[in-house]
Parts: sequence; C-alpha cells; structure tokens
Amino acid sequence: MPADGKSGSSKRAAAQRRIAEKRAAEAAARAHAERRRRTVIGSAVAAVLVLVAVVVGIVVQTQRTSAPAKLAIPAHTVDSGYAIPVGTAGAKVTVDLYEDFQCPNCKAFEDASGSTLARFVAAGTVQARYHGMAFLDTAANHNYSTRALNAAGAVVDDAGSTAFQKFHLLLFANQPPETGGGLSDAQLTSYAHQAGATDAKVATEIKDLTFGEWVKASTDQASKDGVTSTPTVLVDGKRLTDLSPAGLTAAVNTAKG
Amino acid sequence: MERNRPVLALWPATLARLVLGGVFVVAGLLKLPDPAAAVRAVRAYRLLPEALVGPVAFGLPVLEIAVGVALVAGVFVRTAAIASAVLLTVFVVAVGSAWARGLQIDCGCFGNGGQVAAGDTAYPAEVARDVGLLIVALALARWPRSRLALGHLITGPSTEKELSRAR
Repeated sequence: MPADGKSGSSKRAAAQRRIAEKRAAEAAARAHAERRRRTVIGSAVAAVLVLVAVVVGIVVQTQRTSAPAKLAIPAHTVDSGYAIPVGTAGAKVTVDLYEDFQCPNCKAFEDASGSTLARFVAAGTVQARYHGMAFLDTAANHNYSTRALNAAGAVVDDAGSTAFQKFHLLLFANQPPETGGGLSDAQLTSYAHQAGATDAKVATEIKDLTFGEWVKASTDQASKDGVTSTPTVLVDGKRLTDLSPAGLTAAVNTAKG
Repeated sequence: MERNRPVLALWPATLARLVLGGVFVVAGLLKLPDPAAAVRAVRAYRLLPEALVGPVAFGLPVLEIAVGVALVAGVFVRTAAIASAVLLTVFVVAVGSAWARGLQIDCGCFGNGGQVAAGDTAYPAEVARDVGLLIVALALARWPRSRLALGHLITGPSTEKELSRAR
C-alpha cells in the first residue's frame, strides 16, 4: 500500500499542479485581456486628445494670424500698398526688389549695385519697386527688421518716394551688425528727418509702430509672391541671378530691348 | 532567453526616447509663438495648395509636441516612434525636393519663416539631421521597451508572456 499511497499523493500533487497551472494561465489571460482593454481605451483617449489639440491649435493660430480689418497702409505705395515705387511709372523696365533692412546680403547688393540701379531710375529707364520684408527680428536687435520697415513706411507716407529712396540708402549704409542691438528709434527718426520726412508725426509713427501690421502683411505678401530669400531682385518679373552691377546692367538692357 | 537581457540594454532606448522626443517637443514649441512665420515656412516649400498651408502650419507643431511628449514620457512609445518616423520621412522628402528644385529656403524646422539670406541654404545638414533622427525613430519602433517609461500607468503591468513576446 505504501507504493499506492505514494502514487496517490503524487497524483493528487500532479492534479493540484495542473489546477494551479490552469488557474495561473487563466489569471494571465485575464491580465492580458485587461491590459489589452486598457491599451485600447488609452489609445482611443490619446487619439481623441491629440485630434482635439490639433483642431484647437489650427483655430487659435488662424485667429492669431488673421489680418486686422483696418490696416494702416502708407500713402504713395502701389500693389495694394505692398510695393514702394521709385522712379517714373511709365519706365520701360520694372525692377522689383525684396529686401530686409537687417539682411547683410541686401546691404552687400545695395553697396555694390545700388548706385547702378539709381542711375537707371534717374534716367527714366527703370522704375524700382521696393517690397519690404521683416523676418530677421530678434530680441537682441529689438525687432530691428520690423522697426526699420515700419520707419520706411512712415517716411514714404509722410514725404513720398524720393524721401524713401534716401532713407533706404541711409539705412543700408548704416546697417547695424546682425548680432547687434539694431538702430534705436531715435536714430531711425534722425535718418528719416535727414531723408526729408520732417513732419513731427514721423517720430511718433516710428515709436508706436503705426505701420506694424503693414510690415507683417508685406512680409506675408512676399511669401505669397514666392520670395524666400533676400535680396530677391526681379527684372521685369525675371529673377536676377547675377546681382553685380554688370549683371544688373545686362538684365536691364535686355529687358528694355 | 531575451527576457534575461541585462537591464542596461534598456537604457539606450531611454536615451533615444529623450533625444527624439526632446527634439520634437522643442521643434513644435518654437513654431507656436509666430504663426505667421510658420505659414510662410510651409508656403516656402511650394508643395501645398494655399488652402492647406495654414492648417498644416498650425496643426503640425501640435502633432510634433504630442509625439514628443509621448516619447519623453514613455507612453505609446511604439506608436509615437512610428509617427515620428513618418513625420521625419515627410520632412526628408520635402527638404530634399526643395533642394532638388533649387529653392532658396530654410527648412523652418525649428520655427522661423523659411526665408534665408540668398545662397545661405543648409540642405545637406538638414537632411543629415533628419535621416539620423529617422534611424533613431525606426530603432525605437522596433525595440520600444526602455527604462523610466510611464506606459504602465495606462496599461497596467505587463505579463511575462507579453514581455517575452514584446522582445
């Protein structure tokens, strides 16, 4: 009997083991199912949260970028206010220039070829149309790009294109370093006066960023025009790749026919 | 058995999560303060119709932040890693196409409006960075388990069976 008893207890033990294993397997399956359920619910909640966040983001940012209904646009501008024309309207050739007053390559272009362009304008061959962009604002330069273009808007609004041309020349000649603090409002005002915009309101307009929304809209318009790098120079709509005086002269001569 | 993989092997995945997630969170956050610049950056690629430029410019940063937060926190790591791999592939294709078309743009990856000084593009570096991150994302999608992940807070602890299967 001892043998039988032993085999009986080992059978019992085996049966208990089987039961235990089965229970463990069931528990594992339940845990697995529970985990699955929580994963599915968690994923669904996360997906909905992300979707809601994306929609909220789109709505909020769309509202933030919608232009104000009343936009102060400087006088003496064309193209819905986004271009400042210099020179005779009937000139044979149109040269569009997209520039940021803080952009060093724009200064390099103005230093090298600005006077060539000015001669064409003075001769009545070319009408230059300046499109401002302001994308080099930093905290360090106290948003100089925006302040400079706003000041240019104030100058053309007050005193017209001749004053703008002088102001434009002065700002590029005295361009602050890109990592510097930008020109102060007082300096901008002083250059504006020097350029011929002498009305007292010019100082206020510079200080108050009166044309600030116009600056933003101009920058957007340049983007819509497909301009992404500065300076961009278009001679009768055709992009000028050789920005040297010789390149500009050749392109203008070709365009005038 | 892989279950007995040394604990240390899970730390590289943690590092990958933090790097990839950190980059996505930062890239997304930097695009929020100046939505107008975000629009210009998307438009600069000249790939999307104007009607889609705004939604993409505003929706993408939110998506980037969501993916980044999931990776950093360690929840839905595999899904987030796959999503980031998809996004990075899109970025590589977009930047590559701008490069191939000779556009003069900044990728706008970390905010700013996509404009550059003429001749001042950085396509090789931008593509290299995105491809590097893509490799990290794919590795994380393949081996999502890591240390310091909070995923168990949502799903509960894993069973041994799942653990062995997950590897």
